[in-house]
Amino acid sequence: MNIITVIDDGGGLMFNHRRQSQDRILRERILALSDGSRLWMNAYTRKQFDNTESDAISVDEDFLRKAPDGDFCFVENVPLLPVLERVERVILFRWNRAYPSDMKLDLDLSAPPWTLVETVEFPGYSHEKITEEVYVREEA
Amino acid sequence: MYVRRHNRFSIDMPLSPPFGGRGRRQATEGGIFLPPPGADAPPSPRGGGQGRARHCFAALLLILCLTLTACHPRSEPDSGFTPAYPDSRSDSGYTPTYPDSPADTTSPDSGNENQGYTLDTIPAYSGEAYVPLYNNVPDFDPDDLPRRSFETYSELDALGRCGVAYANVGLDLMPTEKRGAIGQVKPSGWHTVQYDNVDGKYLYNRCHLIGYQLTAENANKKNLITGTRYLNVTGMLPFENLAADYVKETGNHVLYRVTPIFEGDNLVASGVQMEAMSVEDGGEGVLFNVYCYNVQPGIVIDYATGDSARADELPAADDTAGSDENTVTYILNTNTRKFHYPDCSSAVNMKANYRQEYAGTRDELISQGYEPCGRCKP
Repeated sequence: MNIITVIDDGGGLMFNHRRQSQDRILRERILALSDGSRLWMNAYTRKQFDNTESDAISVDEDFLRKAPDGDFCFVENVPLLPVLERVERVILFRWNRAYPSDMKLDLDLSAPPWTLVETVEFPGYSHEKITEEVYVREEA
Repeated sequence: MYVRRHNRFSIDMPLSPPFGGRGRRQATEGGIFLPPPGADAPPSPRGGGQGRARHCFAALLLILCLTLTACHPRSEPDSGFTPAYPDSRSDSGYTPTYPDSPADTTSPDSGNENQGYTLDTIPAYSGEAYVPLYNNVPDFDPDDLPRRSFETYSELDALGRCGVAYANVGLDLMPTEKRGAIGQVKPSGWHTVQYDNVDGKYLYNRCHLIGYQLTAENANKKNLITGTRYLNVTGMLPFENLAADYVKETGNHVLYRVTPIFEGDNLVASGVQMEAMSVEDGGEGVLFNVYCYNVQPGIVIDYATGDSARADELPAADDTAGSDENTVTYILNTNTRKFHYPDCSSAVNMKANYRQEYAGTRDELISQGYEPCGRCKP
């Protein structure tokens, strides 16, 4: 299972039950990343893609448990720790901005078994610079 | 007309509660302070408060040490408004945590519970730059949200202090060029002072109430307060970013209000209340109501004047009181040069000619060459 998520400078995901931010260029990037595979998300995240007609998007509140190996999961407001063992790769986007947060990413990607294998920067629509980092699980 | 003029707050004036509390903040006329509901008299003009230890850091330290408690629910009617929340909130496993929020914040729908916050019921600063108020629901009328951009700033009061800054932020208000100079503005309580333990050295920033990135206000003295670096960058900026990026991405408006909170006649605000609500989607995108502390870790501020000092360089607030607190009765053995608690068996069985009672501090005895007993470990 490949996890896609986006955080601010403080590792935050949400504040007051709302995503910290959104960006249409990032959405396009996420759809492109998961092209050829299923992209799983919950109903809250699906609203970001209201203008997107895609048969490749699967919506389920228990998507992290239902997504099979190899599929992509876009995570905004659910913890990852319960499914950590199933995570093969994490595609982490950074807003490069500070936002308030009361829910943070519950995954330490700076420590084993995670290894950063790729970093890409690109301008967003409403964000000057979005950073994409790809982490893979490195077997001991 | 959507613009409502709000007064700055006195210490006992409620900070705007969501939906139902509107109007409790008193309007000003020509900058004249009108008393809050239930107040006996308006605050005295600056200088009229004889006896106040305005310049006394000892008093300031005591104030800083106050433990402020949560407030009690108000009995005011609920407006019936239910802010928009993501559909999946109850199924997502999402459990936010709030620093010392006095209300039950695990349920978003509890946002309509009216509680009266005043400056003295906001939790004392405890390491978090902000604290949510009223479950993060701002005091805007959801049935009367403006669709056009506007911005308004209160007149300075007789003490030269800023009041409420209020705007409906849209793309048309946002800056199209880099920020200009603002150094010519000297907000109330302003001091140019540097400390090694402050990020960027300067303790105070000319702190925009409504950030430049939102309404492109440069040297508008009605929009600049004396704020710590910490308030500016750690407290307020993340909320400005949240609102600004939402507007830029969606083209929608964000109703946005920042209220500096002054205690009495202080020249430096204790903090700011920040409220925001995205308009076109009824708050689904942006919704917050927070209090940001105008503090700087490691620095003690006299909010009456703006004077400041490093916390670790201040003398003890009250040496006498401190001594009294630490004073303990010990039993000395003048032969062995050990000291004991009175109920220590060694003290009880001590020969009378070596026994001496002593009232003082442990440090004093050690400085006199005495050692603590290994049995009672005083």
